[in-house]
Amino acid sequence: MKSPLSYTNVVVTALLVAVPLALIGYKVGFLGYRLGDLLPRTEHRVAVKMKLDGDRGRVSARTFLPLSDERQQLTEHEQASDPSFRFVTETEGLNRTARWNGTSVPDAASMSLNYAVLVRAAEYSISDTLAVPDTYPESVARYLRPTEYVQVDDPEVQSQLRELGATSGPLVSRLRSIFDFTSGLRGRAFKGTTDAVTALRLGEASCNGKSRLFVALARGAGIPSRLVGGLILDDGTKRTTHQWVESYVGGHWVPFDPTNDHFAELPTNYLVLYRGDEAMFVHSSDVNFDYSYTISSRLVPAPRVVEGASAFNVWSLFERLGLPFSLLRTVLMLPIGALIVVLFRNVVGMPTFGTFLPALIAAAAGETGLFWGVVSIVIVVAAVVIARQGIQALRLLHSPTLAILLSVVVLTMLGMSLAAEQLGLSELARVSYFPIAVMAIASERFYLALVEQGSTSALKQMMGTLLVVLGCYAVMNSLALQALVGGFPEVLLLVVAANVYLGRWIGMRLLELWRFRSLLGQRVTA
Amino acid sequence: MKWLRDFGRLLGKHGEATEAVVGMNRRNIEFVYQYNRRRDYPLVDDKVTCKTLLQQAGVPVADTLAVCDGLFDVERALEVLSNEQDFVVKPANSSGGNGIVVLGRRVEHAHGVGWERHDGGTYTLEELRTHLANIVFGAFGYHLSDRALIERKLEPHPVLREFWPSGVCDLRVIVCQGEPMLAMLRVPTRRSAGKANLHQGGVGVAVDVSTGHTRRASMRGVAIEHHPETGKPLIGIQLPGWQEVVQVALRSASTVPLGYLGVDVVLDAERGPMVLELNARPGLEIQNVNGISLAEARTRVPA
Repeated sequence: MKSPLSYTNVVVTALLVAVPLALIGYKVGFLGYRLGDLLPRTEHRVAVKMKLDGDRGRVSARTFLPLSDERQQLTEHEQASDPSFRFVTETEGLNRTARWNGTSVPDAASMSLNYAVLVRAAEYSISDTLAVPDTYPESVARYLRPTEYVQVDDPEVQSQLRELGATSGPLVSRLRSIFDFTSGLRGRAFKGTTDAVTALRLGEASCNGKSRLFVALARGAGIPSRLVGGLILDDGTKRTTHQWVESYVGGHWVPFDPTNDHFAELPTNYLVLYRGDEAMFVHSSDVNFDYSYTISSRLVPAPRVVEGASAFNVWSLFERLGLPFSLLRTVLMLPIGALIVVLFRNVVGMPTFGTFLPALIAAAAGETGLFWGVVSIVIVVAAVVIARQGIQALRLLHSPTLAILLSVVVLTMLGMSLAAEQLGLSELARVSYFPIAVMAIASERFYLALVEQGSTSALKQMMGTLLVVLGCYAVMNSLALQALVGGFPEVLLLVVAANVYLGRWIGMRLLELWRFRSLLGQRVTA
Repeated sequence: MKWLRDFGRLLGKHGEATEAVVGMNRRNIEFVYQYNRRRDYPLVDDKVTCKTLLQQAGVPVADTLAVCDGLFDVERALEVLSNEQDFVVKPANSSGGNGIVVLGRRVEHAHGVGWERHDGGTYTLEELRTHLANIVFGAFGYHLSDRALIERKLEPHPVLREFWPSGVCDLRVIVCQGEPMLAMLRVPTRRSAGKANLHQGGVGVAVDVSTGHTRRASMRGVAIEHHPETGKPLIGIQLPGWQEVVQVALRSASTVPLGYLGVDVVLDAERGPMVLELNARPGLEIQNVNGISLAEARTRVPA
């Protein structure tokens, strides 16, 4: 028997689906919204920590700050250093340097540079027929000449070029043979500088040796090429930096990494810090210089979503109103959280405290993180149940009892924040972000269930609630969904449509299949 | 692993709305919303309102000793009750037996008046005062205030006493559009704390709706033949005056404009079937007890 869907229901559902789809189509087709722009991006935060022993002398150190370009975007940066230093940033050639100059610098003087970057992957396709040009503009032609470590004219390099057949043919085949040769060299964890000829003679090299050999061979093949230095953005702390190359192809500088096998492409975790045969760090001698990189990443809404000036854009509306991003997130995602609760209740048959409580808890847990959110709920509920047992002995009327329990909730949350601060659990300390009403309602519901339906039923409902909170949290904290709803709030009409459908859905709830198994089993055997 | 296979087989049935059993979603859409208008719910949800309607229609109900409406009414009610015994205190709005207190013989002691409870303890006047105040403050329902209904305890028919000696077994008859669909007898256990509530471990006994014969019995979904604590047989017993029970259930259902109802009836030793209350959203467990789905039962009812 099918669910009795009325004519009105069908029309309403169709409208609720058609209107948002039309709006989305309009925005994508005419306003130029791109789903790719809306997807959240990974923001990497890099902390460069440096230390040197100045011995009360005049010392300096310099490294590089990433530049923004089409592929990578520096969103913020700051530095902190020993007061004896003066910090300057300058553009030097293709790069931007960060330099600390100091007089009377003490031992163990520290410098740190923190920045955040958004990086995209890049991929180039090179036409098979593209020829190697005869001449280049002077600004590019200089990347054909030999340098101290890139010995283009060296006979061994020249003979290797001939052996590879890289001196004739289309541009892409020359690059391919050079790339295959250099990336085929054995790897070697060698610290320090390896020049092109050394790498060739040894037949093995680390990233900088392979890259220099690539540059030397490419230049020899008539393709302007240069070294690129940077950082592979994997979370953690490390000292290793990386080098790869760029070759001038059809008017573009195209990246190649023979070490990690990236041909005419660069993945999202490659941050360019400098171009040219530079050293990552330069410092006064005899200062016992040390450094480390600490990299962390988090998802952030795409800049396009935040900055978009269109009247449709909820993000910019909230920004104009001065409301915080977290509130917007909560507001936009609550209907979706509620839909998840409906699915759990009406399709799975999971018992929960109230219809929207799990969604509200999940929203609140966005501030503390899921784990600590659940921990705090459990602690508060336990405290309230214990307090309520105690209050029972006083035989108080209902409303004053509830008012006391509210105080218990507040005191428990304060106590938790205090304890968390002492223990250094910063996430748990943020428990005070939890709406007190949500905590109080959850506790009261649990207590009533405990008294009215017994501990088994109350615990089942509590477990059900926490499980649904888990589901809501996973969905509501999905940045992809948040970005989608932020860019296309009309998606919420689809949520309404889903609820209209579920509102007339008469199928058995999953857990009812278990409850009525004997009745259903009869049918199977009959 | 057998249970996993069983569950997998059941899962296969998830999509199809099977006739074998009616789930909560389907009950709501095809029975509750279909036959009951929301605005009529308060007529049965409030036990005092419902009882008044039933009395006006001449349906037998327990004698009302007092209705306590508001905090100022508590003292007046206590005055009436201090000379009474064998009565039941109920919140007008509560479900699942919450807030119901059953009091027996009146006892006087040094501190004043009290009543015996079924567990042998004493319930003092002071406890009754707090309980009445809690009821009128809405502690047992979803409203901000409530009324307390105090009525004379019923004396179960000897046949029902056989099922459970120390408490009250009640009959639930599902009435759909003026026809009795399914019936069961709910028998308390010690585990259900004397309450005839199936979810709290009471025993459900299927009653043939046309004959009044007990057909089968189950506790927490497991088929049984004898009461797990008293050992008394549960099956094959003819309930006395069954046609009268059905008539009373139908008459009480016809007093309210609700087409789908659960009617709770107690067989009093002297006065026969008495209606306890009506329920606009009767539960689904009666299907498990009877081994018959609501959908199937509906097709059996002559339209």
